[in-house]
Amino acid sequence: MQKLSPRDETEIADIVRAAADGASFEIVSGGSKRNMGRATEAGTLLDVSALSGIVAYEPDELVLTVRAATTLTEVTALLASRNQMLGFAPADWGPLLGAEQGSATMAGIVGSNSSGARRVKAGAVRDHLIGARFVNGAGEIIKAGGRVVKNVTGFDIAKLMAGAFGTLGVLTELTFRVVPAPQAAPVVALRDCTPESGLQALRDAASLPLEATGLAYLPSSISGPQFPNGVALIRVEGSHDAVADKTARLMKAFVAHDPIMLAEDTGAALFREIDNGGVFRGTGSDLWRLCVPTSASAEALSASGATNWYADWAGGLLWLELPATESVAAHLRAITAKHGGHAMLMRAAVQSRKTLAVFEPEPPARAGLTRSIKAAFDPKHVLNPGRMYEDL
Amino acid sequence: MIDLPIPDEKVLARRQEIANALLRIVPDGVVADRATLTAYDSDALNGYRQIPLVCVLPRNAQQVSAVLSFAARENIRIVPRGAGTSLSGGALPLADGILLSLTRMNNILDIDYENRCVVVQPGVTNAGVTRAVEARGFYYAPDPSSQIACTIGGNVAENSGGIHCLKYGLTTHNLMGVELVLINGERVRIGGKHAGDCGLDILGVIAGSEGLLGVVTEATLRILPRAPVTRTFLIAFADTESAARAVGEIIADGIVPAALEFMDRRCVDAVEAFCAPGYPPGAEAILIIELDGMEVEAEDVCRRVSAIAARNHAISSRECASAEERTRVWSGRKAAFAAMGRLQPDMLCMDGTIPRRALPFVLGEIAAMSERYGLGCCNVFHAGDGNLHPLIVFDVMKDDELERAEAFGAEILKLCVKVGGVLTGEHGVGVEKKALMGEMFSPTDLGQQERLKCAFDARGLLNPGKVFPILHACVEQGHMHVRNGRIPFANLPRM
Ligand SMILES: Cc1cc2nc3c(=O)[nH]c(=O)nc-3n(C[C@H](O)[C@H](O)[C@H](O)COP(=O)(O)OP(=O)(O)OC[C@H]3O[C@@H](n4cnc5c(N)ncnc54)[C@H](O)[C@@H]3O)c2cc1C
Repeated sequence: MQKLSPRDETEIADIVRAAADGASFEIVSGGSKRNMGRATEAGTLLDVSALSGIVAYEPDELVLTVRAATTLTEVTALLASRNQMLGFAPADWGPLLGAEQGSATMAGIVGSNSSGARRVKAGAVRDHLIGARFVNGAGEIIKAGGRVVKNVTGFDIAKLMAGAFGTLGVLTELTFRVVPAPQAAPVVALRDCTPESGLQALRDAASLPLEATGLAYLPSSISGPQFPNGVALIRVEGSHDAVADKTARLMKAFVAHDPIMLAEDTGAALFREIDNGGVFRGTGSDLWRLCVPTSASAEALSASGATNWYADWAGGLLWLELPATESVAAHLRAITAKHGGHAMLMRAAVQSRKTLAVFEPEPPARAGLTRSIKAAFDPKHVLNPGRMYEDL
Repeated sequence: MIDLPIPDEKVLARRQEIANALLRIVPDGVVADRATLTAYDSDALNGYRQIPLVCVLPRNAQQVSAVLSFAARENIRIVPRGAGTSLSGGALPLADGILLSLTRMNNILDIDYENRCVVVQPGVTNAGVTRAVEARGFYYAPDPSSQIACTIGGNVAENSGGIHCLKYGLTTHNLMGVELVLINGERVRIGGKHAGDCGLDILGVIAGSEGLLGVVTEATLRILPRAPVTRTFLIAFADTESAARAVGEIIADGIVPAALEFMDRRCVDAVEAFCAPGYPPGAEAILIIELDGMEVEAEDVCRRVSAIAARNHAISSRECASAEERTRVWSGRKAAFAAMGRLQPDMLCMDGTIPRRALPFVLGEIAAMSERYGLGCCNVFHAGDGNLHPLIVFDVMKDDELERAEAFGAEILKLCVKVGGVLTGEHGVGVEKKALMGEMFSPTDLGQQERLKCAFDARGLLNPGKVFPILHACVEQGHMHVRNGRIPFANLPRM
């Protein structure tokens, strides 16, 4: 495969504009997620890793603009130096997908919608992306959104870029709102709960006005020796006084589940693994991410038949170790058909990602929309063709 | 005047036939007589008026779908409408267009505490959502001050905010799913009660699409447990710079107030004369700050806010001691619009957003412009997110005051863009600011947005003439026009 390494946005635009009929580009910035999404073969590898670096960081405005291929590591360190962070707890799925830790870039995180556990409270990637520049499939440089949070000027095109896996545009610059890092973020662990009662406890915790920023459940198969019976984890944030009060309330509300307070770094490490799918790092097995309404999580889980799994987002997200086969795909999608939601093949060998529907198949009317939106951004299907759906 | 698509004579001539066809779809919900149609001739941007061809009021999504497929088949334009409180002319009818009013679709379909969401039809009012769940201690967070009237369909279309969106987000952050009817009548579900992160984020562009992409016939909204404690502060400053600096320091300190509102002296004076909320005399600027959360949490934040106020030389800082006092303090804020409206017969309300750091500069510039244009202007706004609502007062009957006011307003919005901000924070582009879109976007940027529109509606039948500048600019402003104190929806509080 031919490889092009443009140095800036203008060069990207020139390359895309000059693309011959039938040309196609696989867009890579950090490369940590090349094994995510449908497996495709493009004519040209478009390596945009040169577009890296901080464009503007205004801590007082809580706004950060970076070139698209800036690494998560760099961004995290910069924000931490001013006691700030990205609110959606970006996940680094590199190691899970066989790439190096820290190679994830902001464009990859946006493109793949890598939101972590904080999503339950703070929202997803798209809720924090307030502006973007990108090169569309016609080779035009497009600006969308702005650098302020409150903005309804025109369509919110930046949001469309989140989760589009590079199929709508080559991202070149991204503007995020950032949030202050909390003084403390302790985790309460409920050590005595079955998957059912644990998932119920997470939902109950979500209905308390404690603004929990992490609601996860690890079953005994993966929870490790510290929690032989599985564990429900509840994280709260705030000043030291505020979290002392919140955790005391949690300890009381869930006293029947044998709660304990985890040491701060233990809790943080656990949630980092939850964000990153860490427990499945070394295994190489096929993985699915199943999203259902939280009330359906226990039922969906037992119907899935998975033994190695865990739940995030109060049960709204289930990571399932299940083989990438037609029958599993059909089975999981019967579950989503029943409850609402979607099943995505998160990790599998190239061959499976070629033949199976990696993303939840869309009903006809919605599929039609997806295709016309693609045509509005990339009429010649040159950008990451086939990465999400076979004909797109 | 604004450019709207030229009415199609052939469609105008078919008015009766079209009304009859719609009657077959919605037998009890077609308005075709001119007198009744007048009630729909504008939204809250009521300087612009147009009687629609005919108005149809469906009761369910099947009927919406049938109306749209009829319109698509016959090539007739459609303007969706909720409560008609848009401040940007988003629901302004077209002479040759069907006005599709969603207000009769006002049922709450499902309240789901387990998943912390409600499913509603588009005509349910914003306040109606909270009303339905508050007995169980929940509420719907986005709270535009028009909330007793405006509909969820309109909120989704405008991506509306409110005073509490600083902490709890705009409509888009609280919207989990919609059912959308496309112009060809197809019904599409996007998102739902689950986390919606699979496939293109179509929901993300539906929020704020001003009725141009599809008709929302159902919305799934996140509800939140109400914070047990709310504490309200009134802090006064001797100069606007100090107030602006305090705002910056609060945010930079990591405090996320539930609300953080700013009023300048002109506004305070007008409000005191109007309803005497008891704001401290001698203040050049006041901040109203609301902090919520658990008791201990709120206490902690209150301490920090008081310290910031003192550090920035607040001339007074007091916490509301009772519910009555809180209501009184907020009543002044809510009456700002009406109070200013008494100073002069006419008023324009602007809606730009700027980076917080630019607040002192922009306020200074607005004051200088006010001198230069010889027109009064006061500032009352959502300071926490830099969303300005300058109110320009004037009298249309006096020589060129209207032209001056409009030029003044346009200059403010251009300044917002110049300092790194945007044309509209929450009121939408509509017809009002479409001529200014070029200030923010290049023709290429706008071309991309228009192609997105085409992806949903290739023939431009859904709410045409809004958002995008059709011809070159012949109006140069974005404003809400109030004539002779006839403020649209005068009974609603203005935030
Ligand atoms: C006194 C007053 C105070 C206000 N305060 C605020 C405020 O604090 N914050 C704020 O953000 N706004 C505020 N607004 C503006 C306005 O209330 C909001 O924009 C509101 O969301 C409009 O809702 P509506 O039901 O009145 O919609 P309408 O005005 O009827 O329509 C608005 C737009 O939505 C489209 N639309 C309506 N229903 C649908 C549907 N079902 N499907 C698709 N498109 C649809 C219309 O075509 C139009 O483009 C205020 C307005 C007034 C008059």
